[in-house]
Formats: sequence, C-alpha cells, structure tokens
Amino acid sequence: MEDKLQELVVELLGDGAMEYFIGYRQGFEPSHVVPCFVTDQSEADRLIWGPLCLQNLSKYVLQARDLDGKVGLLVKGCDARAIVELVKQHQIERDRVVVVGVPCEGQVDPRKLEQVLGVPMEQVIDVEDAGDEFLVTVGSEVRKIGKEQVLRDKCFFCKHPASFDYDYTLGEVQPFTIDGDSEEYDAVEKLEGLPLEERRAFWQKQFERCIRCNACREVCYGCYCKECIFDRTAPRWLDRPPLLRENEMYHLIRAVHLAGRCIDCGECERVCPVNIPLGRLYKKLQKDIAELFDYEAGMEYDTVPPLVDFELDDQDPFL
Amino acid sequence: MDRQKISKADLGRWLDTIAGKYELIGPTEDEDIIQFGPVQSSAELTLDYANSLIPPKSLFFPPVESLFAFRKRGKEIQLEETKPLQQDRVIFGIRNCDVGSLSLLDRVFCDDLEDSYYRERRERTTLIALACPTPPRSSCFCTTFGIDPLSPAGSDILLTDVGDVYLVDAVTDKGEKLVALGEDLFVSLTEGEEKELQPPPVDMPQLDVGGLRERLETLWEDEYWDKLSLPCLGCGICTYVCPTCHCFDISDVGSTADGVRYRCWDSCMYNDFALMVSGVNPRPSKRERTRNRYFHKFSTFPSRYGTGYACVGCARCLVHCPGGVEITEVIKDISAKEGVSDR
Amino acid sequence: MASESSDEGGNGYEPKILVFACNWCSYAGADLAGVSRLQMPANCRIIRVMCSARVRPEFVVTALSKGLDGVLVLGCHPGDCHYSEGNYFTRRRGLLLKNLLQFVGIEPERFQVRWVSASEGAKFADTVEQVTEQIRALGPNRPRSGNQSAEPGDR
Repeated sequence: MEDKLQELVVELLGDGAMEYFIGYRQGFEPSHVVPCFVTDQSEADRLIWGPLCLQNLSKYVLQARDLDGKVGLLVKGCDARAIVELVKQHQIERDRVVVVGVPCEGQVDPRKLEQVLGVPMEQVIDVEDAGDEFLVTVGSEVRKIGKEQVLRDKCFFCKHPASFDYDYTLGEVQPFTIDGDSEEYDAVEKLEGLPLEERRAFWQKQFERCIRCNACREVCYGCYCKECIFDRTAPRWLDRPPLLRENEMYHLIRAVHLAGRCIDCGECERVCPVNIPLGRLYKKLQKDIAELFDYEAGMEYDTVPPLVDFELDDQDPFL
Repeated sequence: MDRQKISKADLGRWLDTIAGKYELIGPTEDEDIIQFGPVQSSAELTLDYANSLIPPKSLFFPPVESLFAFRKRGKEIQLEETKPLQQDRVIFGIRNCDVGSLSLLDRVFCDDLEDSYYRERRERTTLIALACPTPPRSSCFCTTFGIDPLSPAGSDILLTDVGDVYLVDAVTDKGEKLVALGEDLFVSLTEGEEKELQPPPVDMPQLDVGGLRERLETLWEDEYWDKLSLPCLGCGICTYVCPTCHCFDISDVGSTADGVRYRCWDSCMYNDFALMVSGVNPRPSKRERTRNRYFHKFSTFPSRYGTGYACVGCARCLVHCPGGVEITEVIKDISAKEGVSDR
Repeated sequence: MASESSDEGGNGYEPKILVFACNWCSYAGADLAGVSRLQMPANCRIIRVMCSARVRPEFVVTALSKGLDGVLVLGCHPGDCHYSEGNYFTRRRGLLLKNLLQFVGIEPERFQVRWVSASEGAKFADTVEQVTEQIRALGPNRPRSGNQSAEPGDR
C-alpha cells in the first residue's frame, strides 16, 4: 500500500497536478505518526500508512486555499466526511483538493493498546493489520491482539460518506465492520442516565482540568472562522483565564457552534493534553441531531445542514 | 551533608511526616495523566511515571492566578492582595529537566524585574528531585543541554533509586531540614556502599548543539520556516507543556467596580498574541510565529538573560504536538553543516 | 463577584432571569401585559431582539455560566414569524441547546423557550409567573468557580 501511495504522489507531483501532498510519516519514535507535507518528489518515500495513522488531515486543506494550484490529501473514509462538509459549507471548491482514499480496517487507540500490552507506546515498534487482529511488535516480540480490544471507539461504528468522489484510491475504500457488543451512543446514554447532580459533578471535574490551550479548536476541521468568537475582545464573550465557568462556556459554545457539522473524527479528544472526554459532549449533539432531524454530517453533498433548515412539523416541546 | 540512603518502605513514612508540617505536592495519576498536585498522604502519590504532562512550572507560575481584587466604594478603590501561598511547600518527585527549567524561569521572574508571586513560591518551596529511571524515555534529551539526570544541582534533595533503597543527597539547608524530619529513617552509607550503590550510567542520545545559535541567527530569512510551519496548527500545546515557556496575559474579570485581576498562560503561537490595537501584527502567519519560537529558545532568551539555551530536553512538546513539529529535528536541521537540510 | 446574581440561600433570594423577547410578537405581548396592568413578579430583565432567531447559543450559555438564574427566549408562534422562518430555527436550536445544557447538569427549567404573540398579554404574564416560580424553586444558580481561584485567597 505504501509503495503504491508513494508512486502515486511522485507521479502527481511530477505532473504538476498538485503543489504538495499531505499524508502521514513516522515521528520521533516508531509508534508516533505525524502529518507529512511532501513538497518534492524526493520526499515521497517518507509516506507511510497503517493503523496508527490517526490524524484527520483535512484541516490542512484550509491553509492551502491561497495556493495557485491544488493540494493533495490522503484520507481514510471517515476523514472524507470533512471534505464533504467543507464543500457544503462553501469553504473549499472540491476541485482544489486531490483526494486519495486509502482502505482502512480500523485504527488503534494508543491508550487502549498500552493497557492491553502493559508497556508504554515507546516500546511499540510496529502495528500491522491482520484481519481480526493487529500484529503488534514490542521490542523483538510480535504479539497478536484481537482488534476489538484496542480499536478506537469510533471505529466500531465506522461511517463513510454515502458515495464519495475520490480522485484516486489505493484499494477499495468502504466502511469497516466489526461485531461488538456496544452501541454507538452507549457512553452518551450512560451519562444521560445519571441523576442531574452527578452529571454536573462529572462535567465540572472535566472542565476544571481544561487549561484552555485551544488545541481542540485548532485541530477541528469545522473551526475555520477568521476571527473566533473566543478571541474577540469586543464583545468579550470569554476571558482568557481558565476558570471553571469560562471553560464550561468555551466547551458548550464550541459544541453548539459545531452542531450538525461535527463528523466525529475524534481529533479534539485525541489532542487534548488533559484527556477531557470531549467526544461524549459532541456525540450527545450528534445523537440528538440524528434522532430529531435524521441527519448526519459529512455523508452527502446535497443534504442541507440541520441548523440552516427546518420542517414545519419539527418537534416542538415549547408551549 | 554526606550521601545517605533510605529504604523504599520508609520513603512513604518520611513523606507523611513532611505532609504533617508542609503542603506536600507530588505526582498523582488521574484519567491516565500524571499531574503534580497536593496530597494529604504519600499513599496518593504514584511512583510509576516518566514525567508529568503539565510541567511543575505550574506550581510556581500557575495557569491562572489572581493577582489582586479591587472594589470601588464611592470614590475610593480598595485593593486586596492575593497571598500566593498559605503554607510552606515540599514538591516531591520533580525531574532534573524541570529543575533546570526553574533556573531559567528564575532569570525571568526574579532578576531585575521581580515577580513577588513567583518569588514567594520559589522561596517557600523545597524540592525533592527524583532521579530519572534509567533508561529515560526514548524521547528525552536533557543531556544535550547540560542537564545531568543524576545530579542534585538545582534541587534541595536528590533521591536516586538503586534497587531496594534510594540514595539521598541533601545539598541545601532546606534539604537538610527535611532530612532531619526523617531522623532515624536515613542511614549514612558505608564506604563499601558508596562504591556499590551506584545508579547505572545515563544512556541518552546527545544532539550536537555546538554553534547552534550562530548558525540559527543566519537563517532568519530562510525558506526553512515556511516548510517547518506547514504542519503547525497554532494550537499552543507546545507552549503549555513546555517547562521554560512563560508568556502570560493579564485580564480583569468582573466589573470595573468589583473584580479580580488575573494572570494566565498565553502562547506566542496564537495568531492574536502579538496583534496590536492598530491592527498591525508583527507575526501575521505561522511562518513568523514558528520561527519566533525557535529563535526565542536558542537565540533571544540566551541573549537577553545571559543563559544557555532555553530548552531542557524534556521532549514534552515533540510528544504532544498534533502536527508533529519536533524540536530535535529542528536542531539537527539547523546544525547540518552544509546549511539547512532538505526536509 | 460582581455579576453574581443573588444572595446565597435562605430568605431574600430573588432569581434574576434574562428574557429575550422578539420585537414583533412577544415584546408587544409584554407591552400589552403592562398596559393591561397585569401583575407578575419583577425578576425578569427583558432584552428586545428583532426576532427570536437572533438569540445565539452564547447568549444563553454565557448568562447561565456567569450566574444568572435563568434564561427565557420568547418568540412568535411557529408559522407566524414576522420574518417568515426565524422561529423555526429558534425551535431547532433551542431544543438542541436545552438538551445539551441538561446533559452537562444544568437544570432544564433554567433555559426555556415559549411562544407568545402580540395579543397574548395574559400569556406573557402567566409565562413570567410560571417560569419565575420554577426557577425560584431551584435555588440560586451556583456560580461555577470550581477549585481555581475566582476570589482572592482561595488558593
């Protein structure tokens, strides 16, 4: 797969079909995967692909808007939802991006892997997809780990856009399926089932840890406002100090601003340096929007986002 | 004070005695994260860690702190100062990279422009450093910047794990005072033990930083920064996990009649960090901001404060950067003899 | 802190409720209630907006996070919006926001949306009465200062 990808990128760069290509490469240690910007054919051999290629790279497409030419992007099917949404939200023209789809059979959650292995990620040399399992090389030993033990939560409910117009694919790109005994909104429903006071205590404990580094916002494809509301000084909605009430406001407002646009890529939760389970907050809105308005972000080009739409017979609990 | 030892079983007892007289702060685990926080007893501490995520600079220069409160009563303004500490403190478990960072932060907060909040915290805190488990994490590179993971320099006490016991080096008065609290728990080493009980030597790859600053200073206009800044998201994580970063913002919360003035962390990687009221932004794009970051660490900070490089090799930034920008790569790139390598 | 709404606990707690009323229907309804000399509790502070759809989620979240005890959004009945469609959006947004606030542990009564037309002076008064009592029963909306100092000397 990697060879195919590298050859394709060399070809596309040679043709002048794109100014640079955005993919994945190895970081400071084997298990650390980071974004790779290939500006020259000679760099194409840095590109890799595997179950640790966790990032959703679509955000980078926005900074390429000022280029004369196109930009190339490697996407998993789930990431392609961001492209659909960016086009729908009039943030990019579809033909500015050369989208290369890669078949994905599920990604590894490093935290889960560390727990199952009992060793830190720095000792993991390689992770290879092997059908129902991952082959994990730890030191000189290769261990077989059942996928369901270490799969990222979102991979259990893999969603791709209904039919996406990849410019190139490295194989058949289709949603990954696995038998699991959890339901998509289990974590949300668990919280919904708690008494109000306990829910409040849970979220306050989470928001207290927030240091307002804004990483969740910067990594989110949907946060592209030229001037973010949280940076405005007139009116000043939010103060800088990471006090609990300010943090609460930040997360609630960001969640609602992304309502109907969040594609559940999980980047916000993954990059949070203090491990706030942001996914649960955003998943709650996804659940409500799916149930109330029968809509999921990033699935189709021609559906209207739910918050700029209405039905005459929308649910109306207000008197 | 001569080198002593304390058994692992007794460490907890000593720390509990300390907790009775001081605010004891040490590494705790919550939600898979290691943080330095106050504990009531040693049982709440964890010893199974490489380092904390948020560096212990947060204990001297907190993410948010109130400076003072103000109230207007008629024409009069009443100010109420904040007391930084309620009690003297002991920080247990700090690593030598973070100890090194405090020496750098001291230049900023204690030299010609004294910051009373930081200073009080520094003076009223005793540091018990814990030598790094060998081998250190694969990402560590503190020795590149002259830091020795096994030296007590900069701390008050250094504990080194050598199997069943910790070696104890109390090198300041504050440190000796704490050891005295433990009394019979500490035993001087015999001559034989002095030779026998040695930690394994530190085996850490060392980067070549000779001439780094000089070479960097020739690269201000280089294209290297355009390429380097491409994956940067401007998220600020690097600043928030860096033990030597110290930029802050000050803002008032409340109303003009009744409020609190706060100081909180800020990051030069944000777009609006240097933005001026006139609309002019001296660092308008990621290119300038990324360049600024590395220049600050390797050129402007050393020049301003007469120190070595403002990096302690803790590797937090490169581990946590979502864009994969790695300071070690930057150092190698800049140091490459033929000029900057093609990344 | 200055903008904290009310005294803690016990007697003397009067909830402070923020009301957004749309210019064409609910504000006129409020006017009618006033002109008709209808009695109602005085806890509501009214901000007039041209349409209930003007209310952005940050208005509500900020109000509640800073300590106001409740937020009430009033608009035209669906189908009767002066701008044809505004309140349809309010309806969707309001529902999502209400669910989200409840999800993070904020009592559902603290954020409400009601439809009040220009001729419904009595409904306005009843709504104000009802909502005030519901929110009063909940007690003050504790300002969320957490364990980071909001007041000097806390740390």
